[in-house]
Amino acid sequence: MAANVLEMQKISKAFPGVQALDGVDFSCVAGEVHALVGENGAGKSTLMKILAGGYQQDEGKILLRGKEVSFASPKDAQREGISTIYQEFNLIQDLTIAENIFLGHEPVKARGFLIDTRRLYQVAKELLRDLGTEIDTRAKVKNLSVAQQQMVEIAKALGLESSILIMDEPTAVVSGKELDALFRTIRSLRNDGKTIIYISHRIDEIFEIADRATVLKDGCLVGTITPKEVSKGDLVKMMVGRSLSEVFPSKELGQKKEILTLKNVCRGKILRNISFTVNTGEILGVTGLVGSGRTELARVIFGVDSLDGGEIYLEGKKRTKGTPEKSISSGIGFATEDRKNEGIFSCLSVRKNLTSLVLGKVRRWCFVKEAEEKKIARESVKRFNIMTPHIEQEVQYLSGGNQQKVILAKWINADSKLIIMDEPTRGIDVGAKAEFYTLMRLLARQGKAILMISSELPEVIGMSDRILVMHDGQIMGELSPSEATEEFILMMATGQLKKNKAEEELCES
Amino acid sequence: MSLSHLRQHGVTLIIYGVLMTLILASSVASDVFPTSRNFNNLIRQAVALGIVSIGQTLVLLTAGIDLSVGSVISLTTCLTTGLIHGRGDLVLPVIALVIVAALFIGFCNGVLIVKTHVSPLIVTLAMMSVVQGAVFLYTKGPVGEVPQSFSFIAWGKFGFMPFPIFILATVAVAGIILQKRMTFGRYLYAVGGNEEIARRSGINVDRIKIATYMLCSFAAALSGIFLSSRMGQGDPLAGERYMIDSIIPALIGGTSLTGGKGGIVGTIAGIFILTIVSNILNLLNVETYWQWVVTGLIVIVAVACCGRVKT
Repeated sequence: MAANVLEMQKISKAFPGVQALDGVDFSCVAGEVHALVGENGAGKSTLMKILAGGYQQDEGKILLRGKEVSFASPKDAQREGISTIYQEFNLIQDLTIAENIFLGHEPVKARGFLIDTRRLYQVAKELLRDLGTEIDTRAKVKNLSVAQQQMVEIAKALGLESSILIMDEPTAVVSGKELDALFRTIRSLRNDGKTIIYISHRIDEIFEIADRATVLKDGCLVGTITPKEVSKGDLVKMMVGRSLSEVFPSKELGQKKEILTLKNVCRGKILRNISFTVNTGEILGVTGLVGSGRTELARVIFGVDSLDGGEIYLEGKKRTKGTPEKSISSGIGFATEDRKNEGIFSCLSVRKNLTSLVLGKVRRWCFVKEAEEKKIARESVKRFNIMTPHIEQEVQYLSGGNQQKVILAKWINADSKLIIMDEPTRGIDVGAKAEFYTLMRLLARQGKAILMISSELPEVIGMSDRILVMHDGQIMGELSPSEATEEFILMMATGQLKKNKAEEELCES
Repeated sequence: MSLSHLRQHGVTLIIYGVLMTLILASSVASDVFPTSRNFNNLIRQAVALGIVSIGQTLVLLTAGIDLSVGSVISLTTCLTTGLIHGRGDLVLPVIALVIVAALFIGFCNGVLIVKTHVSPLIVTLAMMSVVQGAVFLYTKGPVGEVPQSFSFIAWGKFGFMPFPIFILATVAVAGIILQKRMTFGRYLYAVGGNEEIARRSGINVDRIKIATYMLCSFAAALSGIFLSSRMGQGDPLAGERYMIDSIIPALIGGTSLTGGKGGIVGTIAGIFILTIVSNILNLLNVETYWQWVVTGLIVIVAVACCGRVKT
């Protein structure tokens, strides 16, 4: 085997509260596609950010072509030939393709005074032609499709003469023919001797494109394998094989009544023929990979986005046109994934946050009745055990778990009957998680309906009364928690199995 | 010119179409409008606004704003006329001095914005107050006088062409080269389009911003010098209207306050649209204050349309 171009040895990195990486080894040779796989939070991104100069490791060293290197900034890494292509592209929308490719290192003439426009466009065109695309290099980036923008990003990396390309879930944004083109490009880059580090959790792709795959889990190295030599099941087992460590409350159901029904709901390509029912007294878990349509589903139910087709019934009544205002008044609450920006008013007090949805109830003419407002706030703080020195504390100074409780209390104050919770425990530490789980279960038992969207599989299995798995805008099937295993859900979430087929395989094994 | 080209320059083409239509309509509406005397007059009116607007456009491209330009113009008119005070031999040294002073103000603007992370709106508003205060400390009313040689800047002729047109043309061409052909211009768009990406591309964002505010102040100083030549006297309030007026041509020309979009070519059309509207309303004996009303409406229509005409 050829000598390693890149060697990362015993890399460790801690963030407050978590050990993101713990002594991870990772190495690549020239001319290979090396997949880096693992669940959310496994440490893939952290490892790659260290390599790309975005973070510095606490321990361990990086050897590039045998020499030890350290990168203080992304610029340093780029200079050594390491480029990253993120899911969110680093392109300036109002500049042309060629201008973007050479941003920061334009070819110049007239003693560096003027940009050599002719060479700029010529070289850009050559770079893109080598990648097998014929796009007008004078077109502005904002007029390009996502797949084309991705090609521009790759060309940009090649323009920097990179020898190592890190691609962060490149297929999250392309599909079909574009995907084939992307794979062709990746293969031809590999054949030119480039090293491609390919971050993904789509099993199929890894088997199609990767020469080797390194699996991370909970910040530790599980192992490096050659996909040709193992089965897909083995790889999945490497990714998830762990026991449920969190403490989940026992599953007691509340009174069951149908509250929300979706029939053949469609929205563009991101939601296709979605049908299901949510009942009061239960927690319905929805899971899937990034881009599977989980969050979009929540947005459609809450009325932020409109439907292209299908119907939504609220307590048996068909909803005509949904808006967030109507949803709130008909008893739907939505605790979004992005707590800081969409969930709380971080500069306002606990009291003002708790009553932000019900000001109408504590108002006389145009004046807020502060005494009543305070009463509501105090009750909520007590009921939800919100840890705050007083109700006038600004919410931004509360811990993540307590902020989340404020959000939940706010919706309960607004008499929400159905609460959609997108990634309810993201960024909350383990102790607070258990408390929050208990709270969710208590609400369900009291007759609320909870639609929990989550990518953390132990949480999905441990908390849900029923589980829906999404893939590519479709529901792949419904599972009961007793039949669901992480392997099983992941197979469905990666589109390898639909429910019926899955059941057959389960019977066999 | 390909179709994609046409689409990309759509906004610019439309704005120049509007300018042409305006010129034709004005020629029909008034016999005086197409005369060479009126043409000279029009140019003289366009120069001061034009130069400072071009500077302001550069700042707007970085997603900034410079509200201190008005006070810089006032300062330069007073300093220029007050220090020259009719002596021909002092013209060049004084011009050099006021330009240095303006560059220093721009430098302060830039450094404060970059280092303190206070928004450009606030920094330059405060700077406006500081500079305007200094101007009033220097003089409370019209000041100084200028020698014959200095009057040439605003009133001279080069052949049959009025000299001011060369000043405006030079600044415009220099601005366009800077914006379109030099790396600096490219970086203006990058910084205004997405500062973080610009930084990640290895661009020294801070230095670009400081330089931009210096250029803008420099442009304001040129406008001030021209105005003092035109008026023959310095006036502590000469620049007051340019604080806001300098932004308007850029807005009409398709430059966005959020940065990274538009450019000087559009601004130049905006300058002439504004000047011609004011000129023709004058010729038609419409009361001055109607110009304000019309200008306001033009801005709203132009900016609303720019948003609509997306490629």
